[in-house]
Amino acid sequence: MLNGLRRSLASPSRNPRMATVLGRLLGIAFLVTFGTGLYSHFLQDPLPWMVFPTRPTFLYQLSQGIHITAGIACVPLILGKLYVVFPELFQTPPVRSFSHFLERASIALFVAASLVEITIGLLNTFQFYSLFPFPFKQTHFALSFVIIGSLAIHIAVKLDVIAKYWRRRDSFDNDGNVVDFSLPESPKVRLSAAPEDAGQPERVLSATPATSATEEAGEPVSATGVTGRLFAWIDATPAPSSTTSRRGFVATIAIATAAVVAFTAGQSFRPLDGVNLFAPRKAGIGPNALPVNRTARAAGVLESAVAPDWVLTVVNGDASRRFTVAELAALPQYDVDLPIACVEGWSQTASWRGPRLRDLLDTVGADAGVSIRATSLEQKGGFRLMDMGPEFVRDDLTLVALEVNGQELDIDHGYPARMIAPARPGVRQTKWLSMIEVI
Amino acid sequence: MKIWRIALVVLGVALLVVGGLVLLQDVAPQRYGGILLWFAGALVIHDGIIAGLVIAVNLTLRKAGRRVPLGVLVIIQGAIVIGAIMALIVFPQIVKQGIGTLNPTILPLDYAANLALFYGGLVAVTAVTIAVYLRVRQPSRRESTIA
Repeated sequence: MLNGLRRSLASPSRNPRMATVLGRLLGIAFLVTFGTGLYSHFLQDPLPWMVFPTRPTFLYQLSQGIHITAGIACVPLILGKLYVVFPELFQTPPVRSFSHFLERASIALFVAASLVEITIGLLNTFQFYSLFPFPFKQTHFALSFVIIGSLAIHIAVKLDVIAKYWRRRDSFDNDGNVVDFSLPESPKVRLSAAPEDAGQPERVLSATPATSATEEAGEPVSATGVTGRLFAWIDATPAPSSTTSRRGFVATIAIATAAVVAFTAGQSFRPLDGVNLFAPRKAGIGPNALPVNRTARAAGVLESAVAPDWVLTVVNGDASRRFTVAELAALPQYDVDLPIACVEGWSQTASWRGPRLRDLLDTVGADAGVSIRATSLEQKGGFRLMDMGPEFVRDDLTLVALEVNGQELDIDHGYPARMIAPARPGVRQTKWLSMIEVI
Repeated sequence: MKIWRIALVVLGVALLVVGGLVLLQDVAPQRYGGILLWFAGALVIHDGIIAGLVIAVNLTLRKAGRRVPLGVLVIIQGAIVIGAIMALIVFPQIVKQGIGTLNPTILPLDYAANLALFYGGLVAVTAVTIAVYLRVRQPSRRESTIA
């Protein structure tokens, strides 16, 4: 039954060359999302020795835009890859040995973790947390290692197949059919899915040709019972021509990938803003013409942020100074154009105005090269405290912003004062500042 | 190749261990059940439902379109798949929009209308592609019949 099922699932697109081609693209997409994801993670929670580049100012905007966009591109790619290797699910016998069991278990883990990772990543971009019964950030981080680890093991297991089908010219015979390396006597055998092969013994060229060679004995499936009749019905279905089907499959995955990227990437990449049909954010929509991640209401600062006795306290050991809004506005003001770039992928450049952070620190005699900890008015949540390394603290472009796009900060954008620094994630551009300490 | 294999397996196992440790350290144990449930759900939804639907569509099209040129069937099938993949991405947004978001800048667009617009475009592009395909294909078939 498994054999018959597997044979019926044979299709011209289900061949090891296609698995290699799509696997390569998906592998690249996974590594790109892993790399950009790690960068984002450590920018938010740096290890003590870490120093980050502050230029170009759009660095995080770019890296996180790529993270989210590549993640979306993974949807058609992984569905295509799973389509190609789907008959492998029905291997017979299901488990041949302990190592085979380990291999199949690692594939199951790989596939499950990848599907879950991509899905929760996508849902996180519009904060659909109510769907999953686990914390997003920590799970997404942990699974990324599970996936890349499983990917390394998967590549190790399939290394011979990948090597054989790596290059196009090695993968096809003169008739344009995918070469089957699993037949020692004659490597150039056509696929059973091609109609000309009807007279040949039934063979399935699966994503792992080495195993299929010994298993497919060409047993005819008798047309009895429900499954037998189903298989007979499937077998009687007109078989597709292999070249047309393969090209159609490649074009479908390519167009699907291009479409999901083109119609969502506008939230991160401005040139595509005009065709932003499906991204969860849209540039220019929000208070101060900027989207908002966490509102003042959600942060619980609706009253404290507008309290008349608000001051920003700047502390360096025993020295400390308090600044009212008027006093901050009386300091030398600077105008900088910096992107606000959210971990959720959307980003938008804005014009910020306010005193430089380093000028504020100079008023309490802070040394060059110090790190700071900023405290928000928020009472709880992971973004109440924010540490910033010296490379950002001393940067000319790092401001305690009082205005954005020519207007006073909206309360949802951090009124009365927020941090804005180059090449940092939005969640670390702390809003509703109440204290800045030298640490 | 053997050296590479060993190196990749060692790297893979090391990363799996890191992933496991992060999970142990950062995620409360009572949440593990939820993660496992999602893993199982992902496999069931893909291998059981999505793959089954794809096969059903594929077979139905091939059965229904015995007299339709294969290339046309492949184009129609591709359009269906592209439409379905877009639906997978956009439907959850429409659902979440219905439930409501924490602030109005999240999901600010009319996703249902945009999806209808996309489907309109997809149908148009598919029709044009089929027309072009049939045009380009016909002369070569006539030649082969004559030959």
